[in-house]
Amino acid sequence: MQSSSFPLIPVRDSSATAMVRTSALFVLVALLCLPWADLSISTRDPWQELARLGWGLLTPSFDNPLTLLEALANTLAFALQGVALGAVGGFLLALGYRRAAVRRFAAFIRAIHELFWALLFIQLAGLSPAAGVLAIAIPYAGTFAKIYGELFEEVDPSARQALPVGTGALSAFFFTELPQCFAHMVTYTRYRLECGIRSSAVLGFIGLPTVGFHLETALKQGQYSEAAALFYALVLVIVTLHGWMRAKLLPLYLLAVLVWLPPVAQFNGALVWRFFSEDIVPAPLRQGWNGEGLWRWLHALWSSQIAPGLGNTLVLALLALIGTGLVTLLTFPAISHLFGRPVTRAGGHFFLVLMRSAPEYLLAFVGLLLWGPSMLPAVVALSLHNGAIIAHLVGHYSDSLQLRDDAVTGLNRYLFEVLPRIYRTFLAFTLYRFEILMRETAMLGILGIPTLGFFIDSAFTEFRFDRAMLLLLVTALLNMSVDMLARTLRRRLHLSSQPESL
Amino acid sequence: MSGAMTSPVLFHLDEAVIGYGSRAVLRGCQLSIATGEKVALLGESGAGKTTLLRQLRSLRPADVAWCPQNTGLVPMLSVFHNIYMGRLDRHSFFYNLLNLVHPLAQPRDEIAALAQQLGLQEKLFTSVDKLSGGQQSRTSLGRALYQQRPVFLGDEPVSAVDEVQADQLLQLICARHETMVIALHDVALALRYCNRVIGLQGGRIALDQPASACDPAELLRLYAHA
Amino acid sequence: MSIRKRIAAARRAVLAATLTVVSSLASAQTFTFTAIPDQDESKLTERFGRIADYLSKQVGAEVKYIPVKSYPAAVAAFRNNQVQLAWFGGLTGVQARNLVPGSEAIAQGAEDTAFKTYFIAHASTGLKNSAEFPAAIAGKSFTFGSKGSTSGRLMPEFFIRDHFKKAPDAIFSRVGFSGDHSRTMTLVESGAYDVGVLNYTVWDDAVKQGSVDTSKVSVIWTSPTYPDYQWTIRGDVDAAWGKGFKQKVQQALLDMKDPQLLQAFPRTGFVPAQNSDYAPIEKTAIELGIMDEIM
Repeated sequence: MQSSSFPLIPVRDSSATAMVRTSALFVLVALLCLPWADLSISTRDPWQELARLGWGLLTPSFDNPLTLLEALANTLAFALQGVALGAVGGFLLALGYRRAAVRRFAAFIRAIHELFWALLFIQLAGLSPAAGVLAIAIPYAGTFAKIYGELFEEVDPSARQALPVGTGALSAFFFTELPQCFAHMVTYTRYRLECGIRSSAVLGFIGLPTVGFHLETALKQGQYSEAAALFYALVLVIVTLHGWMRAKLLPLYLLAVLVWLPPVAQFNGALVWRFFSEDIVPAPLRQGWNGEGLWRWLHALWSSQIAPGLGNTLVLALLALIGTGLVTLLTFPAISHLFGRPVTRAGGHFFLVLMRSAPEYLLAFVGLLLWGPSMLPAVVALSLHNGAIIAHLVGHYSDSLQLRDDAVTGLNRYLFEVLPRIYRTFLAFTLYRFEILMRETAMLGILGIPTLGFFIDSAFTEFRFDRAMLLLLVTALLNMSVDMLARTLRRRLHLSSQPESL
Repeated sequence: MSGAMTSPVLFHLDEAVIGYGSRAVLRGCQLSIATGEKVALLGESGAGKTTLLRQLRSLRPADVAWCPQNTGLVPMLSVFHNIYMGRLDRHSFFYNLLNLVHPLAQPRDEIAALAQQLGLQEKLFTSVDKLSGGQQSRTSLGRALYQQRPVFLGDEPVSAVDEVQADQLLQLICARHETMVIALHDVALALRYCNRVIGLQGGRIALDQPASACDPAELLRLYAHA
Repeated sequence: MSIRKRIAAARRAVLAATLTVVSSLASAQTFTFTAIPDQDESKLTERFGRIADYLSKQVGAEVKYIPVKSYPAAVAAFRNNQVQLAWFGGLTGVQARNLVPGSEAIAQGAEDTAFKTYFIAHASTGLKNSAEFPAAIAGKSFTFGSKGSTSGRLMPEFFIRDHFKKAPDAIFSRVGFSGDHSRTMTLVESGAYDVGVLNYTVWDDAVKQGSVDTSKVSVIWTSPTYPDYQWTIRGDVDAAWGKGFKQKVQQALLDMKDPQLLQAFPRTGFVPAQNSDYAPIEKTAIELGIMDEIM
């Protein structure tokens, strides 16, 4: 014991440290938000309604199967057309993704929820199939631009460096980046089709003839058996997606949906003109320039809607982000080949597909019955829904890990073998989800949480497109800031966003 | 110092400091390489061979057939496509795109002939991610050869193949290029195919002499830690 | 065989229903209407298809119904001339007529001349029915119905502000928008919200059918009356379908006596209406800041 103290102090230089710090930062910020988050529980007799809901889920029934099939066909038609158009648009944008202007534009268009795009297009193109297709295609193009663009950026540059000097930009792109990203792009696009089917269903909430059209009615009227039938039909389509969606059949499907639901629109020139020249002009400016009036208008909107909306949106999205992370970490082992047995995995898949197919509205409603109106049901609904989506992706990613033959099992395997390996991917997925969470807070007006989306919805209900535009602009700016922040963070952490399967 | 002083100078470095950003890798580089020279670059890994080669490439990008150490192959494309990429700069985008989707007869025949010489004839339409390390290395070399430039710059182009193949490949490179600068780690190969040897050590050019004047034992010292 | 027939029928049904929107645009001569009823939105196409048949017979022109769910979408379709006639709530009608100059309210439900809102509360609040405005609702959690609803939002908010001289946010512990009258009933019945407001016909029907447990939730106040649902028609229909068409449509609506048809709304009948009937609604909307003052 005479040895002279410890000569070496080990340096803390682990790749894990940076990731742990980032996670801790987010948890800390979320904790700081807690005082502003109303998570109170107030409820009395939820059980009767929940029992009815549960009974409905056990006894799905639908009077008219043809109506159901028709709604499903429409749902697929909007989804396929919208996602296809969005993928093409996103691909073109991705070619210029190195430019900040393109990135901002992409962040802008995807910040706006599909429902609001639909409400905008309905103003311009009437209640037409084209409005629904564009409502999906535009925000999806923004997302595709981001994911494709980041894939292109993160491609191993050695192939490009080996090309002869003087190779044209397009030739180089088609021979190096594109082939290297193609498989990821296909996987991701297919995953987005699943999202597109959900989005398409949700567009039914405002009147497009998709599954959501009937689902919303059934939920509102408390016809839970009917709602269950619609919900299960949607789940079935999503679960079997991998079976029927084949690259070779895609042209056929696209042709079929174009025939089934031609994306026509009726643009009324006078209305379009009025929309841009009058409807979206701030009310105080419609009779000519009125600086003071505009200032008062802006000020009133800022203090009554924008400021509280921003605050609520951020607090809710942050808390939901942490919840989403927790749900993911807890549930992804349920579908991973590294854990459990085929039976438990099947159960895991079933749970995750239910959670990610269920509209947040439904989950929030159940939460509302259970805990009363507060941010709690909102956080739980968003966390469950988005956590199920990310758990699905992380679970699949974990299947690609090669563990050594004598690796430990159970909890030790989770902590020592799997978690460190998946954490980077998990973090990238989850951070990416943040902007989606902000957008989805719009759906939860039933909980009485005035987020930005809540006010945008109100503005549309009140036919005040000037306000809607201003609020949409604020939302888009918020999203662009978050996108820039995430980019910085990602670079600092070298998080490959692994966008092949976000 | 070196021979062939009568030939035109291709590359000239005068007390150059070469590096990345503000980080210098090589200092005080005094170097002239003339047309017709066959130069071997020796030195232990990290000595700056790659850096020097990159610098040379940037001096005459249009004359150089470039064969990087990390093969720079596109894994999911076939041997044909990867070799074809050596001439992407000579064709229009649409011609290139056509060949990406469906190889045309002329480039196919040219590349098949080249692949034959590289021993890759059977793998012409196999994606390179399904090839062995040696085959990938030969594909990468094929891409450089297909460029058909007068100057070959190769960064360990034969380090992933066995001795017999290395011999054949270096013969091929020599036969098809007037001038070459190759980083090698095999001293015997260097002396067999090159007429000039440049040794790098400690961030400087430590040795630069005709191959005929080299003592293999002295060259090995380049690999000894300073 | 029968399957093929069914598929063919389905295809026709789909074309009729899904693409009505499209086809109705193509042939401008198809008179199209929409309706968002205040309760039971299920099987809209079937129920209102019968109304379309009736109107078609009465006015001697092809009439179609297209289902629309949200108020903004319905008004957009009206504005875009995709529908020429619409069964709107009081507030929505005012908004639509502001956006489409020349359009007119031509008929309202017999019940809509004196419509009412019920304030309902969960039993645990201890609030009881009274003729006085229930001031004790302050501090409770509270839910409106849909944001654009007259009976579920506009008028109750007016009465609340009128009494407290404060905005709902400043009065209640939380203000939600259930989105629908039935939802409001369910949410207050389960105690998720303490207090809610809804269309009186929805409540009365639920009580009649026994679908609400009145030991858990009860009406604590009935609002003063106001005009609500009405048929609004575009001003340019005479130009498209011939002089007197508007009157023919109005007459057909007023003549609708078949209880089965009326059940779709549900109303006992229709009486004449005009734009000025809704001036109080408009005034209230402007006061509440839901509409901008028309300059």
